[in-house]
Amino acid sequence: MSYSKTKVDAILNNGVSRRGFLKGLLASGAIASFPGGALARNEAINTKIPYLGKKSYETFRNACPRNCYDTCSIKSFVKDGVLQFIEGAQESTFTNGGCCVKGNSYVRRVYSPNRIKYPMMQVGGKGSGTWKRISWDEAMETIAKKMLALKKEDGNLLGAALTKYSGNFGITHYGVEGMFNSIGYTTRLAGTPCWPAGIDAQNFDMGNMWTNDPEEMKDSKYIILWGVNPAATSIHTMKYIYEAKKRGVKVVVIDPIFTETASKASEYIQVKVGSDGLLALGMAKIIVDAGMHDKKWLKKNSKGYAEFEKYLKTIDLNEVSKVTGLSLDLISDIALGFAKADPATVWIGYGIQRHSNGGSIVRAIDALVAVTGNIGKYAGGSRYGHLSTWGFNYHALSMPKPEGSVGYENAKTMGEFGHGAGGDAEKPKYNDRYLNINKTARELINATPKVKLLWVACKNVFAQDFNRQQMIKAFTSLDMVVVADQFFNETVKWADIVLPVATQFEEYDVNVSYWHYWLSLNEQAIKPLYEVKSDIEIAALLSKHMNRLEKDSCTYPQHLDTKKWTAKEFNKGIYDMFGIKSWKELSNGPVKAKDKVPYADGKFTTPSGKYEFYSEQAKEYGHTALPEYLPVREAYDKFRLTTPHSRFSLHSQFQNLDWMEDINPEPCIYVNPTDARVKRLHNNDLVAVFNKQGNLKVKVRITDNVPSGTVLMFEQWYNNKIYNVNELVDDTSSDMGSFKTGAPGVALHDTYVNLRKV
Amino acid sequence: MQKAFLVDSSKCLGCNTCAMACKNQYHQDTGILWRIVRNIGHEDYLHDENNILPSLVAYTKAPEVDGLPLERFYSSLACNHCENPACVEICPVGAHTKDPDTGICKHDQSMCIGCGGCVKACPFGASKFNVRLGKAEKCSMCWERQDDGKLPACVQSCPVEAIALIDIHDPKYANVGEVGAVGINYAVDAATKPSTRFIHPKMPKKIHRL
Repeated sequence: MSYSKTKVDAILNNGVSRRGFLKGLLASGAIASFPGGALARNEAINTKIPYLGKKSYETFRNACPRNCYDTCSIKSFVKDGVLQFIEGAQESTFTNGGCCVKGNSYVRRVYSPNRIKYPMMQVGGKGSGTWKRISWDEAMETIAKKMLALKKEDGNLLGAALTKYSGNFGITHYGVEGMFNSIGYTTRLAGTPCWPAGIDAQNFDMGNMWTNDPEEMKDSKYIILWGVNPAATSIHTMKYIYEAKKRGVKVVVIDPIFTETASKASEYIQVKVGSDGLLALGMAKIIVDAGMHDKKWLKKNSKGYAEFEKYLKTIDLNEVSKVTGLSLDLISDIALGFAKADPATVWIGYGIQRHSNGGSIVRAIDALVAVTGNIGKYAGGSRYGHLSTWGFNYHALSMPKPEGSVGYENAKTMGEFGHGAGGDAEKPKYNDRYLNINKTARELINATPKVKLLWVACKNVFAQDFNRQQMIKAFTSLDMVVVADQFFNETVKWADIVLPVATQFEEYDVNVSYWHYWLSLNEQAIKPLYEVKSDIEIAALLSKHMNRLEKDSCTYPQHLDTKKWTAKEFNKGIYDMFGIKSWKELSNGPVKAKDKVPYADGKFTTPSGKYEFYSEQAKEYGHTALPEYLPVREAYDKFRLTTPHSRFSLHSQFQNLDWMEDINPEPCIYVNPTDARVKRLHNNDLVAVFNKQGNLKVKVRITDNVPSGTVLMFEQWYNNKIYNVNELVDDTSSDMGSFKTGAPGVALHDTYVNLRKV
Repeated sequence: MQKAFLVDSSKCLGCNTCAMACKNQYHQDTGILWRIVRNIGHEDYLHDENNILPSLVAYTKAPEVDGLPLERFYSSLACNHCENPACVEICPVGAHTKDPDTGICKHDQSMCIGCGGCVKACPFGASKFNVRLGKAEKCSMCWERQDDGKLPACVQSCPVEAIALIDIHDPKYANVGEVGAVGINYAVDAATKPSTRFIHPKMPKKIHRL
């Protein structure tokens, strides 16, 4: 058998201090008895990463900081300063001792040869691929000089823009926004591409976005999983759903796609895309007509029920059947089954509100749950998400502006969920300028005053943002683009300077979830590799250089320690909620917030203090006051393209790792057999998928998991493969989002395409 | 005692956490998976370049299944820790051993001479050939972890308890699961007597399509 020296070198050439590690193994005698692994130094030594017994490892507490429901609590095993393997923390009943497929690839992510190791400058210009290694000082001085030059030229710093989103949801990472706060009034790409329409909907209805503990679902008596696929996106919740199902509880999946979750449900209902709102209203009508609504709860806890009931009278059930594609018998069966069960719950997925009528769908489903009195009930609820455990100090974020800073006058204020919100209590004379994150390309091109410098952190703009044909134009029109990242992705390709960022194993942080109720400390488990720095360390270094060039131009501390800064995030509210006295207790394992059922006391934070079927606020924001049916965006091409999340990636993270490629090697497009016949396609044919936005080529897989007329591609970033679903997605807005997040969401599942065999 | 994996395809979501948890623990070379999650009824696009399937001996294949959709039902398979393992039989240097206490089929790579006998003899493709090292490797049921009071990495990490560890000699487990797989390339009635037990997949009771 042949050895490939170059391959070995490629595997080895990732800079880890391996010599000492191997020496340790040799000394322990363990090296002899284990098969070959990626850490083998050369072909003469064969070793795997062996399991050496609990006592051989130093363990650390970590947390998965990705934009994920599950936000796993992690236990890391380190030997000789090298991260060996991770496990899910067993203290958390939610993580339950195991991370998902993505989490289990973390070791490879940390030691991947493809990691960005040093600050680099693209000396050949954006997109040229001609990079030069530079020192941190050189990088930060270049950026600081540019910032100061901008300020001098324009008289303010609005030419400096920040786009940051969900690449790392650790609390200290809000220090990136803090960095921009600390230099003056700047420009922020604000809003959220993720869940804004649903946030607004729940806020109109209940005055908050607050969800029951997912662990309660094991005790629910009827579960509707509506447009949500936890088997791919919240796999740790599946065990509670299985537990309920085992007890004979009906688990109904309503989804246009026959998902992995649907395949394990008691009943699957394929609904026409975008008609979910009308289905929920039809179900509510059937329940009210049958007199099975919770009159007592509605009387006591709701506002505008009479108006809603009157509106339901105008709903034509035959029309509901026609629009949703479901028989009346079936709709009745589900509606009455749901109404009879106590408690019954609906989990609303985020995909459902990524439609032009998304917010209205969430309001209609909320109304259905409210009509049956399942709001405020243990194991009930209209589940969407929550931020109730996120009450940290946001110390890293709360940086004052330098004295004399000039900014934007009369700026619109940001909602509380805006990931650019400054948090100033009193209204200052000036404000930051907010651009719509969901129209990033367009906003960057058209902004006046002009954006000249863009800082990208915790985000892969080219993978996640829409209308990306315009994005290249937007990026090339900027004087300077700085990207802080871990891998050379497409956004880095269009940057001038790239800064290597630490993984969570290389810094301290603290993490909570927007779904479950656990709190995890993230300890620094290993020394940062190469020259990587955490986001807040980068901010401190920028401050050092800005202040050296111009005294008092940046208020960010110039020296900091991620451990001390993590400690500064805690407060009494957090301690009380989680029943701990000090954050240090978290090194014994994650803890859970004290049990609390949302709205159990009937107190809602709406203007009326009640559940609002009739919402004046909704009206103010240009919507109907009642949760009325709104038809979905009209088709503009042959097939609807839906681009949900793959179980093998979180946005553009994880799928780029070679370990993940071993499991899921390449992208594909799923096409219904009927459509495949019309287009004369066979499995593994290469097709061009195209529309008015752009086109891409991908292999076909034929399956009736997708309905005829809909094609599906997962949203992923493959290293060394040209594949990006946002080639095809435009930036058409969803109905809601402006109320709480500062900008409407994106109707990304209302994209249409055509196919051609190539 | 014969320790064995119980694979529950009625629960398995195909998430591949088990396969990745194995890599997380052992860091196999790129391209090598000791555990592979196999799509029941739709295996045509799966390839494994590190072993030879089918093996040198012809066996009855698992029965076909109809009507199971693409990428929805799975069997997660690693070494089947056979009662009469072909790898132990064929290995000329004793690198493959069968633990008399637990029934686990262990492989010690330091003794392996890379003859590839086990790779060809195993009816299930459990032994992989590592081209870089010129040696074989395979799942040894995390015996080191088990000795230390832990579950195998795959069993511990499965988010829905779709892989369990059982003892097929224990009367308690006598009627748990089926001996044979369905809808995947699997040697039924192999003389090696594989220990893995299967719970077969089921579609939801009611499905309403447009």
